[in-house]
Amino acid sequence: MRAALDKLYLWSGYLAGLNLFITFAIMIIMSVGRGFALNIPDGTYFASWSMAALAFLGMGHTFKRGEMIRVGLLMEKLKGTPKQVAELLALSVALIFMLYFTWHAFDYVRTSLRLHDMSDGILPIPLWIPQLSFLIGVVILTIAVLDEWIHVARGNPPSFEKPPPKTTEELLARVAEGGGV
Amino acid sequence: MFAALDLPTLSILLLIALCGILASGVWIAIGLGIVGLIAMVLTTSVPIGSVLAGKTWDSAASWQIAALPLFIWMGEILFRTKMSEEMFRGLAPWLQWLPGRLMHVNIVGCGIFATMSGSSAATCATIGKIALPELEKRGYDRDMSLGSLAGAGTLGLLIPPSIPMVVYAVTANVSVLKVFLGGFLPGALVMALYSGYIIIWSLLNPAKTPPRDPPLSFMGKMEQSRKLIPCLMLISLVFFSLVLGFATATECAAWGVIGALLLAAWSGTLSWESFKESVMSATRLTCMIMLILAAAAFCTAAMAYTGIPKALAEWVDGQNLQRHTLVLALTVMYIILGCLIDGISMIVLTAVIVLPMVERAGFDLIWFGVYLIIHVEMAQITPPVGFNLFVLQNMSGRDTFSVAKAAFPFFILLNVAVVIITAFPEIVMVVPNWVFPETPRLK
Repeated sequence: MRAALDKLYLWSGYLAGLNLFITFAIMIIMSVGRGFALNIPDGTYFASWSMAALAFLGMGHTFKRGEMIRVGLLMEKLKGTPKQVAELLALSVALIFMLYFTWHAFDYVRTSLRLHDMSDGILPIPLWIPQLSFLIGVVILTIAVLDEWIHVARGNPPSFEKPPPKTTEELLARVAEGGGV
Repeated sequence: MFAALDLPTLSILLLIALCGILASGVWIAIGLGIVGLIAMVLTTSVPIGSVLAGKTWDSAASWQIAALPLFIWMGEILFRTKMSEEMFRGLAPWLQWLPGRLMHVNIVGCGIFATMSGSSAATCATIGKIALPELEKRGYDRDMSLGSLAGAGTLGLLIPPSIPMVVYAVTANVSVLKVFLGGFLPGALVMALYSGYIIIWSLLNPAKTPPRDPPLSFMGKMEQSRKLIPCLMLISLVFFSLVLGFATATECAAWGVIGALLLAAWSGTLSWESFKESVMSATRLTCMIMLILAAAAFCTAAMAYTGIPKALAEWVDGQNLQRHTLVLALTVMYIILGCLIDGISMIVLTAVIVLPMVERAGFDLIWFGVYLIIHVEMAQITPPVGFNLFVLQNMSGRDTFSVAKAAFPFFILLNVAVVIITAFPEIVMVVPNWVFPETPRLK
């Protein structure tokens, strides 16, 4: 179970990364193509959909790696049991919100499917297809939050928490991993 | 049943909810979402869930926002090259003659790196990695080298490309390109202020500046700087495609990625491993920012239902405040906020309330974006939460507060920059107005 979940986060992260590359490729082809009167039909739509897939599919992976930001001022002051309780409380709030959000993401995509919403470009594409990335991404994030909630409820330290870097190399690696703007 | 709530009560209630939720360590995006939910539950009967889902989807599935991951990726690729070593060696021989000598490498190096990277922490870490030990070896004043590095690192945000600028432009619904262009001259201004301060300080403390390195011939200098040339070419490529209008911000970002990949290949640091790492870091950073942006879009929509932003804007308008009084009040607020939270959260948390207010007061939103970005720069170097402080604290082995003390003069200089651009808004507006002549002039 543990291994399967970790694979889920990692591979959805890779899929998000692939979408970064696709967004980039569409952009370049369109930019070069303009000079040769060569065009990707609805390129801007495809680029925005791969952008959305990038944003949504990577959320679970990002959360698990501890790169979703929060205000840590008070949390860092706490230790031991109070800290554990505070973490569980924060995760509970997040979990309830994510469950609500998941339901409505599902409802949104379902409505889009039922009403046969189409993109208004040259190629009419049913909107529920690109919107699937939204639903899947939100579901994975919710699973990640639930997974973390169970992990912390069992008395473990949160897995998204990293010890402060000790060496300069470690810090540089951390900054390189996107530890802050 | 909640109709009895008047706006002041509702505003205070929401503010308390926001502060309480964020302080308890709930993720910022989720906190924003919850506050939006509360606001809507209390004021409207619109189906909340579909607004939430719709706003989230719309904010991510957007052509304009695609510039964000690409600029982030470009920075991530360059971060993995050997750029910083070359920057120090290439710049050092040319800056020896200035009072303060090699400390100017911090300023100019960060300034140059900032034109390729949109992140302050990456700029600070990249230049600091080499500059800090080199300056220490030569006996430069430690506080001054740390402070100038902390201050100059923040240029990564003001000099385009810039991650917070994209976040601001999307939140304020203005052109990313114009905000980028607005950042050029203020960036140069901040560099001039920093370098000017170093010059004056060294003239006042001649004993604290070590002797210069042995002089090099002109060809010797060129030999040292040879490796900087491709990097300068990349900057020119990105800069001119922006200014001459060859490309949209998004396309420009894509070309920037190509340039960065070529540069990495040329310097021999491009491998499958580093490529994959750069993609994945860029992906995570994008996801983090996008979730906040989506939540902020929902929160903005929810707030519009409450009518608070409009009422507040009208109230400010009715006060007949001097424009400078409003700027002063906002400056105080942003300095306090900047101590407590990070820059991107600061932009999205305040945008919904502040933007209608400043627009009503007659400020140009491009100008305000640059003003806000300078505050985000300050947020990077004010304790207890300031990312550049964390980076330098780790690199120098000193505690946050002594690094913050060393950075304090540079924090003051950023405030000076705010005063200057408020007195002379043209410094911000002249470049965007020149590139886009149809832009309405500042009122």
